[in-house]
Amino acid sequence: MALYLIARIDQEIVALPATEIGSVVEVDQIAAVPRVPSHVAGLFALRSRVLTVIDTRASLELGGIDRDAAMTAVIVECDGHSYALLVDEVEDVIEAGQPEPCPALLSAAWRRAAKGTIRRGEDAILLIDPATVVAGPEPLAA
Amino acid sequence: MDDLLTDFIAETRETLEALAGEIVAWEADPADKTRLDAIFRFVHTVKGSCGFLDLPRLGKLSHAAEDCLAEVRSGARAPDAALVSAVLAIIDRIGELTDALEANATLPEGEDEFLIAALAQGHAAPAAENSAAIAKISVMPTHAPTRTISRSIRLPVELLDRMMAGVSDMVLARNELSRLLRAGGNSTTEVAFERLSLCVGEMRDAITRTRMARIEALFSALPRMVRDLTAELGKTVKLEVDGGDVELDREMIEMIRDPLTHIVRNALDHGIETPDQRRQAGKPEMGRLRIGARQAANQILIEVSDDGRGIDAERVVRKAITAGLVTSEQAAAMSWSRKLDLIFEPGLSTADHVTGVSGRGVGMDVVRANIERIGGTVDIESNPGQGLRLSLRVPLTLTIIPALTVSSNGTLFAIPRSAIDELVRPKGDQVRIERLGGEMVVFIRGARLPVVDLGRFMGLTEETKPTLLVVLRAGGGERYALGVEAVHDHEELVVKPAAPALMASGIYAGTTLPDNSRPMLLLDVAGIAAAANVGRDQSVVEEAPVEKTKAKAALPTLLFRDLDGVARGVRLSLVERIEDVATDSVIETGGIQMVPLQGRLTKLYSAAALPASKRLRLLRLSDGDSAIAYAIDQVIDVVELLAELASTPVAGPIAGVLLHDGDPIEMLDPFWLFTHAATMPANDHSPLCLVADAEDPWAREVLAPLLAAAGYRVTFAGEATQDRISVVVTSSGNSPEGIDAPVVRLRGTPDNDGDESIYRYDRDGLLSALRQHVAGGK
Repeated sequence: MALYLIARIDQEIVALPATEIGSVVEVDQIAAVPRVPSHVAGLFALRSRVLTVIDTRASLELGGIDRDAAMTAVIVECDGHSYALLVDEVEDVIEAGQPEPCPALLSAAWRRAAKGTIRRGEDAILLIDPATVVAGPEPLAA
Repeated sequence: MDDLLTDFIAETRETLEALAGEIVAWEADPADKTRLDAIFRFVHTVKGSCGFLDLPRLGKLSHAAEDCLAEVRSGARAPDAALVSAVLAIIDRIGELTDALEANATLPEGEDEFLIAALAQGHAAPAAENSAAIAKISVMPTHAPTRTISRSIRLPVELLDRMMAGVSDMVLARNELSRLLRAGGNSTTEVAFERLSLCVGEMRDAITRTRMARIEALFSALPRMVRDLTAELGKTVKLEVDGGDVELDREMIEMIRDPLTHIVRNALDHGIETPDQRRQAGKPEMGRLRIGARQAANQILIEVSDDGRGIDAERVVRKAITAGLVTSEQAAAMSWSRKLDLIFEPGLSTADHVTGVSGRGVGMDVVRANIERIGGTVDIESNPGQGLRLSLRVPLTLTIIPALTVSSNGTLFAIPRSAIDELVRPKGDQVRIERLGGEMVVFIRGARLPVVDLGRFMGLTEETKPTLLVVLRAGGGERYALGVEAVHDHEELVVKPAAPALMASGIYAGTTLPDNSRPMLLLDVAGIAAAANVGRDQSVVEEAPVEKTKAKAALPTLLFRDLDGVARGVRLSLVERIEDVATDSVIETGGIQMVPLQGRLTKLYSAAALPASKRLRLLRLSDGDSAIAYAIDQVIDVVELLAELASTPVAGPIAGVLLHDGDPIEMLDPFWLFTHAATMPANDHSPLCLVADAEDPWAREVLAPLLAAAGYRVTFAGEATQDRISVVVTSSGNSPEGIDAPVVRLRGTPDNDGDESIYRYDRDGLLSALRQHVAGGK
């Protein structure tokens, strides 16, 4: 059994491994960063730390997140850098068993990010790897 | 205590503790090879350090133990109980001596010999008796416990980083609190807050210092390296190292290590000649290599100079032409120093043959790239046949970078100050923006530079005519102008690496969090040049005129630290001499400070209260006629600085500001200083002023000194003089007869009663009237 954080990105309910999550914060002011991939929303200061804000919708190729509303972000550490993953909503923290393999028929972006599925009651929830969300969409072969 | 010694003690003690278990295990089983190796390594390390630190007693002990253990390892000797005891006794002794070293105590010496003798092979005969004796010795010193508590500990750098981050958090919290207090606090809380503020500040300084190390850590490896290399090359070189106590960031020391090693190798291999060649050139056989470090403002200057053959710039150019790096036309337009700079180009080696030591064409370009990456600069000075000097200037730390904040369309960016050449406003003929083939270029005093508009480059705005241009050095002699909307602040920023997705863009050097808690990006000046495709060829072609205008406009300037701690500069031509005087020789009278210099009282200008120290350092400034003394803290350097400066609107001792290596330098205004502070000593050619009222005490005691101070020679009516009287001053209305000179009349009241007279306390009026008459009379 392990703990998972359940969040909503666009219309999709996803799970993130709780061991990799530092905290969940409200993000207000994001400093824009020009000339970087579109899933990098900008920079955000959490106390004296500067976090790189990741637009998870853009990273999963679901369009962009609505930046006007107060945003919720999940803080993760990745290769020594701190990131704030913007999500639409954090729903719950649940305990669940070992992840099972993903079903077939996922879009390319989901196939890249999903590490398996976990069970919440009757529902299967996609388990997301934060590192791949941070990495963002593969650059198009030009 | 010496840092190295402290390190040695800490390390030895740490290893001894770790070794305690091994020793016991070895004693139980002397045939155990791994235990033996561990103990051997320990005595070997101690021996090495002792030679270096000049600790002969420890050296002798460890050497003896090492020899004996080496025999055991090679199988020449079997480890018997006596030998094990003897070695253990020596290890114990090393521990005791180390403790004594730290406590600054001495232990009786005779016992060492006995311990060493116990190691000898033949000695092992009466084993039981002997080991008893050894046991007695090794137990003995414990009667007098010398062990003190260690004053030095080793910490993982990661822990220091966490402390630093914690303090940074505190500083931000303090700033937030300060904002709230300003909004509505009371004085009691403010006093408490001030105290907290001070503590946080001191703590930040202290923690910053924990990250600092002496540059000695870098220099200590040099003597050995020089010795090995010279032996290999068959040369003799005397190495002089200076300034090892200069402190800088530990990480910075690591970043400089490779470039410095490379420079030293080059100097030994190519710079300094063989003894034969040196004799033929009329030089002493032993070459000299000098390495020195010193702190200049917030930079560290490391100079490496040798008295070898130097670098012939013409040869460098020929090589560069052969290698296709420049064309002969370009080469012809280059100045000597620009040609010399070519040795920093990739793929150019001045060595005619490759040796094992250096000369493979990878080198100086890497040296420069490495130094520039950490915000430093490399300068080269060569006197063919006489020697070479390389100057590395690096910032004190990697993490705190002095930066200039600029913005376009409200978005702020930071630019490292080390990359900034100057700030210019496009206005008039001197700075003109034009369009060439759809791209903007700017002509600054005749030099053409490409313009990158920050707003458009970042996609923040449509292209506009920039209101301000920041001229940047992109490395490798390239320059371009960055068009920005506004310049905000000079700040010392704590810079951290940005996330890989940001760094991948190639235009950012890191992120920073200024006091306003809005994250900001530090621009990568060279990266922007590459991304904006600011052509390299173009700059090289333009280099020559730039060089020329620079050379024409640069003036030798003396940089000094003023009494108020600010770095200021003054043109060298004005400085007559630098003098030290006794601080108590300064006379203060009527708010004016005077100091006797060369037998004459000279007015002294000081930017702040004179220091409490006994000696005072002065610049004697002279415009040829009059002189003033200017009190300073210390001289920093003499450099060539551009003649033009950003002038300050307020009249005062500061004429304006110049950038030197990215640091603002306030330039003294000689005009203001000489008008307001100069003493004009009277000499034989000074105009002679006759005071008519010889009997009037006011004229003698008030008027005459004023005239003298203003540079007039004074004579009184009735005194005989050979010289022509230039002007007569009278307050009684009487004027001596028979003198053909203009007369200045003084009156006793401020009210103007219609005549041409001047109120006698109207100093400025009197002096200007005197000047007019003297000038008119000539």
